[in-house]
Amino acid sequence: MKTQNKGTSWLSWIGNNSALVAFIILFVLGSIFVPNFFSRQNFSAILYQYAIIGFLALGQLLVILTAGIDLSQGSLVAFTSIVVALAMSKYGILPAVLAGLLATTVLGLINGLLVSRTRIPAFVVTLGMMGIARGLALVLSDAKPVSVEIESFVKFGRANIFGIPVSAIILLAFCIGIGYFLKNRKLGRYIYAVGGSEESARLSGIDVKKIKLFVYAASAFLTAIGGVIWTARLSSGSPIGANNYEMESIAAVIVGGGSLFGGVGSVFGTVIGFLLFGTINSILNLVGISPYWQGTIKGILILLAVALSQLRRLREKKSEVKK
Amino acid sequence: MINLKKYYSTQSFDTRSVINILVILLSMIFFAAVFSQGVFLQQKNLINLLMQNAALIIITLGQLLVIVTMGIDLSVGAVMAVSSVLMVLFQDFGVVGSIVAALGGALIFGVVNGALVTFIRLPAFVVTMATMQIGYSVAKLLSDAAGSRGGTVYTSLGGMELPTLYSEFYKGNLWGAPLPILVSFGFLILIALYLKTKNGHFIYPVGGNEKTAFLSGVPVWKVKMAVYMLSSVLAGVAGIIFVSRVGLGDPQAGGPWIALDSIAAASIGGASLSGGLGTVLGTFFGVIILGVLNNIMNLLGVPPTLQPAIKGLVILIAVYLNTRRKMN
Repeated sequence: MKTQNKGTSWLSWIGNNSALVAFIILFVLGSIFVPNFFSRQNFSAILYQYAIIGFLALGQLLVILTAGIDLSQGSLVAFTSIVVALAMSKYGILPAVLAGLLATTVLGLINGLLVSRTRIPAFVVTLGMMGIARGLALVLSDAKPVSVEIESFVKFGRANIFGIPVSAIILLAFCIGIGYFLKNRKLGRYIYAVGGSEESARLSGIDVKKIKLFVYAASAFLTAIGGVIWTARLSSGSPIGANNYEMESIAAVIVGGGSLFGGVGSVFGTVIGFLLFGTINSILNLVGISPYWQGTIKGILILLAVALSQLRRLREKKSEVKK
Repeated sequence: MINLKKYYSTQSFDTRSVINILVILLSMIFFAAVFSQGVFLQQKNLINLLMQNAALIIITLGQLLVIVTMGIDLSVGAVMAVSSVLMVLFQDFGVVGSIVAALGGALIFGVVNGALVTFIRLPAFVVTMATMQIGYSVAKLLSDAAGSRGGTVYTSLGGMELPTLYSEFYKGNLWGAPLPILVSFGFLILIALYLKTKNGHFIYPVGGNEKTAFLSGVPVWKVKMAVYMLSSVLAGVAGIIFVSRVGLGDPQAGGPWIALDSIAAASIGGASLSGGLGTVLGTFFGVIILGVLNNIMNLLGVPPTLQPAIKGLVILIAVYLNTRRKMN
């Protein structure tokens, strides 16, 4: 999706990378004017907080690329945390983490099966799963938080290398891996194709059902990784937390240039998307602006981002027509 | 491609779909009546059921209109919250003044939603997700400015008690029928009538295929602006009912799930998220199915921990049955 006319220089580049530009501007302004913003502690605080959303956003990106949506992520985080915390006291760290990843991925597979084999819209399927996963978490934990006693697991949640949280490093590895996979592997290209036009994808021999099954399972798997890190950070499993995390991940994908109509979006854009939100929240906190402003600012930002990408699409259409 | 005539004649009252939903509802009521040993069918319980769902019925009507045009409105809960806070903040202006303020505030959201979706052609999901965040934030800022730290706005704030008229409205009744229920039924009838008018009926062709509708001379922009404005105003009405019920304005009025509940209810009632389908009667049954479900679970003593899972399952099953019907 490169713009056709190379002549129109930096202005169209800014249009194409609005989230990145906004992020850089905010980052520079924050570094100059906001005391304590440009500090190792602050950066690692942002990363600690947003690494979890980052995993969710990567999963959400895969789903949104196929023109779907995953509303169950927040509940899946809570579900993972309960499974991990319950299993950990009995079986130790590794089996517990594996159990959490597996159980949550199974729920994702159910999402994928329902979306690909029935005509229930993805919105309703994952809305239903939102309730089901939340309910399972509540039932398993008897609606009480489950504390994690194992010290080394809790330490993992706070571990860092040269001030960079380990969770952020794992996230970076996943970003690079998924970025490569989407660009260079057949399955990755197929994901874009399904989102671009499901009908033409099917006609050109792509197994659309399999792709859809894959993205919802992958979304749940990535969400589960976020859930494991969340559990380590809280040092407990919480059946009622992580509400609305899916809204954050959807917002990150969209601000990063993703389109809910499918076929458009990138890992890089998504990363910029959640880093942008992290930066804004951090600046608001440091400056001491009422946290109640956060929603307004986030909302306006989301609107600006989609408006810009819409403008870009219109311009591309026009230039195509001219040719 | 759509057949406009077909949409005109059948879609606003699709008998088969309503019968399908009615079967689900009746079997649930039967189940409830048997297992609660008749408690469910007692007049008090039924009235309770309708009272608890009066606000949701009104919100879901707006949601229905938006969904039929192939949109979605995630901001209804936030608009309800803003309206409830405005209602209390403007209490010094009397009942009429505060209602005007609440509905006016709600209308602004509807105009913004509608304009962004209609004229700039942004996806409804993203637009209303953004205005949802803005709405909740504005509601908190308003109540913050009123000195209640982003929390509930108490009605004694302006040095005045909330006019007792509000609570009288909630507790009042006309010939034995509680007023909130009458109001929600009034809106049901109003929206059903609106769908019979020319502009109202156009939502079906717009949702079925916007391009074809436009080419056949349907004023698409008017139709879409109207549904988003109506959806917000109806959410504003729900906010007013909320204030009359609990006696305060709350930036979290209705709870965080009310928008999703309204979408689920409309979907259960036969509205299709891919546009062009949905009826007022089906929507009413959709809300009542969710309401009966909650009611049964409480009557039967289903532990609250299990309730979200059961609700999720019922939503999935009900919508699955709807989509099967559409395939035939």
